[in-house]
Amino acid sequence: MGLRGKIAVIALGWLVLISSLHAYLNVNWAAVLNDYRPASKRKITVAYLPVTCQLTCPVTDYISKYSLSGEEFLPRMFQGFPEIKEALISNRVQAAFIVAPLALALKSQGVPIKVVYLGHRYGSAVVVRKDGPIKTFADMRGKTIAIPSRFSDERLLLFRAMKVWGIKPSEIKMVEMAPPDVSGALAAHAIDAFVMGEPFPSQAEMAGFGRVLFQAREYWPDYMSCILVVRQDLIDSRPDVVQVLVDGVARSGLWLDTSKPHREDAADFVGRFYYNQKPALLRWALTKPMDRVTYSPLAPRKADFDMVRDLMMETGVLNKKLEFEDYTDTRFSDQASIQTPWKYEPGTAVAK
Amino acid sequence: MTSSAKPALWEQFFWPLVAAGLLLAVWQFSVVWTGTKVFPSPVSVEKGLIGLLQKHVLWSDIGDSLRRVALGFGFATVVGVPVGLALGWYPAMNQVVNPVLQVLRPISPIAWIPIAIIFFGVGDRAAIFLIFLAAFFPIVVACISGVSSVPAIFRRAGRNFGLSPVHILSKVIFPAALPQILIGLRLALGVSWLVVVAAEMIAVDSGLGYLVIDSRNSGKRYDLVVGAMLIIGLIGLALDTGIRRLEKIRSVRWGFRHGS
Repeated sequence: MGLRGKIAVIALGWLVLISSLHAYLNVNWAAVLNDYRPASKRKITVAYLPVTCQLTCPVTDYISKYSLSGEEFLPRMFQGFPEIKEALISNRVQAAFIVAPLALALKSQGVPIKVVYLGHRYGSAVVVRKDGPIKTFADMRGKTIAIPSRFSDERLLLFRAMKVWGIKPSEIKMVEMAPPDVSGALAAHAIDAFVMGEPFPSQAEMAGFGRVLFQAREYWPDYMSCILVVRQDLIDSRPDVVQVLVDGVARSGLWLDTSKPHREDAADFVGRFYYNQKPALLRWALTKPMDRVTYSPLAPRKADFDMVRDLMMETGVLNKKLEFEDYTDTRFSDQASIQTPWKYEPGTAVAK
Repeated sequence: MTSSAKPALWEQFFWPLVAAGLLLAVWQFSVVWTGTKVFPSPVSVEKGLIGLLQKHVLWSDIGDSLRRVALGFGFATVVGVPVGLALGWYPAMNQVVNPVLQVLRPISPIAWIPIAIIFFGVGDRAAIFLIFLAAFFPIVVACISGVSSVPAIFRRAGRNFGLSPVHILSKVIFPAALPQILIGLRLALGVSWLVVVAAEMIAVDSGLGYLVIDSRNSGKRYDLVVGAMLIIGLIGLALDTGIRRLEKIRSVRWGFRHGS
């Protein structure tokens, strides 16, 4: 074989090696094959972020994949709400965990979605520097605080606290920041405080420079932020699939709230296989204390959403008085509320 | 029209306008034809921008972006040109610094965002830092190559006339390298305007980049996203036209063989 032949063989071999490695390591075959199934049998794609508010999504996927006949839906991790929103609008994903005010805003702008379930309750906190000057919320005057988005419950939570302390909106500077950036920014004195969902408060606490000023529950009983929305066309064409999804999330929520070992196990497999976070961080967020974030009851309630809507209108991010019935479909949660938790014990299935 | 014929003045403006008009027409037609409810038509983009003008935020957004780019690009020029000249003048120094420079150069400013926040906090200074980073490397590289491509005979002639090293650098090398330096500056200005969107992702609350990100965050305002993109493009064109005028200055015109 001449030199040219050798080079050709090596190049071909390299190409085959790289292609097969790519196919093995990078390609999500479940998602690729799903596109070739008939529409009625296709699994739906559910978008989520790596935050504890949305933990029921990977938990449902994991438990159903390893202890039942197979996965119920295809979870797809995103890095921010804008991307999820765009995928949802363009029907690249059919269901998504997003923050409640964003769902209301999208609905008011004519995006065909419905709220079918909640993701969690509580799980957001205001964090300040451990040795910083802010001792109570009154010290927040004139300070800069990072919020995840204008359409976040965390922002509304701040307004509730400001009302209690008689602080005017002009007295606090709010900046929108990507959640992964806030911990470093707080440590570097770039901001004075942040309000975010878990595990970012835990991250600042664990690293030793952050102190939780207050948890969401102190100013907002039954606080909820992330909710599950589904596209209207899916509800119309395949309500059974939506029911399976809601059932799965409901059972995961109950399972997570059953005992501490369940939560520790969830921290372990979600951190490693889904969120790409240190399991120790999730363990902290889920168990210190146990009610830092809760996963039941998760049926959408009118009172919760009316309060979010009113706060949104009051703070200028919603200009239409939406009614609860316009943007929720409670039939799925009505049936899911009788569900029992997963029958899955830590260690009963072998993780891949 | 042959390539060497100089088009009449009206032609220089007429045909580009026709092309732009055609593009708008195709855009409008595609939006109507596909019946999309998400992507905005040119008319809705115009409406959105007029709404912004009436709220008096568009001009301040444009002004803030231009100010940040001017500062970032200005710092990059002030720091980058002397550094580049020095590195070009002392090849030994260049050999030491060049590998580091070449490693830092291809890193996208977006990757620098977390670091910018840690060093400069949130707000203006971090944004200006990112623009500075983006502009700095093209300027330095252009200066190095400009200085090192000055024919050695120029230096020798300068030395023979008894010029001190400082004078050789300022009176001979710098003017000789100026055409290349200007190309570097032009590239750098283009890149600085390019990263304005990334730079304004860092918790600032004004500017065209912020307008893109903010409109994206606020639900379905894609008319404003596209509108801000168009304005960014138009201002980029204006900036480039402006800096190209520098190339027509008499003392550097010799460096641009194809310049008119």
